[in-house]
Amino acid sequence: MNQKEKFWGLIILLVVILGYVIPYTFLSDVTKWYGSFLVWSILAVITILANYFLTTDWSDEE
Amino acid sequence: MSTTLVWSTITIYVVIAIVIAYLSRNGRQNSMSGYFLGERKLNGFVSALSYSATTYSAFMLVGLAGLTYNGGVGALGFEIIYFMGVSLVAIFGPRFWLVGNKYGYVTPSEMLGDRYQNRWVAIVSAIASCLFLIPYSAVQLTGIGYLLQGVTNDAIPYTTGVIIATVLALIFSYIAGIRSVAWTDSLQSLIMIITSTIVVILIVNSLGGVSGFFASIEANDPQALAVPGNGFFNFWTFLGLTIPWFFFSISNPQVSQRLFMPASLKSMRHMLMGFLVFGLIYTVVSVVWGFSASILFPGLENADLATPMLLSSEVVPPILGVIVMVGIMAAAISTIDSILLTLSSLFSRDVYRNVKGDADDRKQLLIGKIVIPVIAVLAFLFAQLELDLIAVLSVASSAGLIVVVPAIIGTFFWKRGTAAGVIVSVTISSILVIYIEATGGLLLSLKSGIWGIVVATALFIVVSLMTQPPEQKANEFIEYVKERMKSKK
Repeated sequence: MNQKEKFWGLIILLVVILGYVIPYTFLSDVTKWYGSFLVWSILAVITILANYFLTTDWSDEE
Repeated sequence: MSTTLVWSTITIYVVIAIVIAYLSRNGRQNSMSGYFLGERKLNGFVSALSYSATTYSAFMLVGLAGLTYNGGVGALGFEIIYFMGVSLVAIFGPRFWLVGNKYGYVTPSEMLGDRYQNRWVAIVSAIASCLFLIPYSAVQLTGIGYLLQGVTNDAIPYTTGVIIATVLALIFSYIAGIRSVAWTDSLQSLIMIITSTIVVILIVNSLGGVSGFFASIEANDPQALAVPGNGFFNFWTFLGLTIPWFFFSISNPQVSQRLFMPASLKSMRHMLMGFLVFGLIYTVVSVVWGFSASILFPGLENADLATPMLLSSEVVPPILGVIVMVGIMAAAISTIDSILLTLSSLFSRDVYRNVKGDADDRKQLLIGKIVIPVIAVLAFLFAQLELDLIAVLSVASSAGLIVVVPAIIGTFFWKRGTAAGVIVSVTISSILVIYIEATGGLLLSLKSGIWGIVVATALFIVVSLMTQPPEQKANEFIEYVKERMKSKK
């Protein structure tokens, strides 16, 4: 994997781990919209951004 | 919901879809890569919509809504973890694409067979895919059956719905292979995302806007906004459900085969980004959908009926309800037709060609076309068995496919991987997953998907280390990919 893949790949890995850890630990008693619902939504948006940056230089060479 | 309205909408949908399928008939369809891969020339927009339609099946608005109904916000987490897993396309996508172009691969199993230099690798992984994907297609058919039955109060019986879906899936894959599938998929996903979003906005408004919506959930069942909440999504269940889906984009051949198709990496990027935006919207819509059903119709015995109830309720105007219903049916069909195509290409390219030895491209295509209806009938028969909750079965099939993941990762990143490693790991872990699913779904309180990935990885590594790798091919293959990936840093 090249440097860019390693960097953004790690970010995504971190996001995935947080997707398991945060809701099941810190937020397991937060029964509000700003609990797990919000956290998972934010992590999803970060995933989109990470994919965006990871693929910026994919060329149109056929 | 009136039966006449349902039938007329279905008719309109069928006519439009068939016209689109016919219009898609450009280019050559008389070769394997023409018919199954669209000559590797799909543009980004169609690829994105079709990828979304193939991935997001009837499962979303029926099964995921049902999971939300039963278990609350954990269903959102489950789908978001899957969604994050699609990032694997950003790593594996260009690699599949590069070697697909260089070596002319039509199927992912063919790639494995060539990379590990053993035709049995291709045969075994192709058979494993068929074994798990036919039940998965059956699950989709089951979804349509329930749905039509539910919204029309049994006026359209279960079997009629299943037959309609099977026949349409067959037609869409036959007209122009992947091209007709991709274009009808695109139509379906566009209709789906637009109408279901409108319905959700209407429902949320009727519950007093976003704040009213969340207030209603809290009043109804505050535990629904946290995990493990009511216990439905305890951590181990969550892990067991999410692990197989996390790897979906590389383990399931009907989507990983898509990585061979884009015209360029830029098209693939459009496919990926388009899918992610589509997927996030659709996920939130489906989860809100399930929550709304739990507020409006608490206490349903079968959660899969939540969506039919909602669609035929007073909150949703009948015409919109019926369009979404047909949209859900179309979503299931768009998943099945892709699976039909992929499985038939796997059978003809990886099983038939390798066993027969002398089958040229034309012969393979002929066999592929003969196999399509055979697989459709098998899926139909499975659906007639009317097995339990939709989501559970659907996950069981992705748990089965997870066993090829170590071999796929090894293809690109581990020169020491061997054919024996792949064959042993895929065979034994497939059997293990089937055994676990057949005996209640848990082994030592862990779900089959967790066992699948752990056992397959261990076997792949251990057996590979004990056997001789195809050094020349491994070097050539991995160095080629490394070189090409470096140049686009």
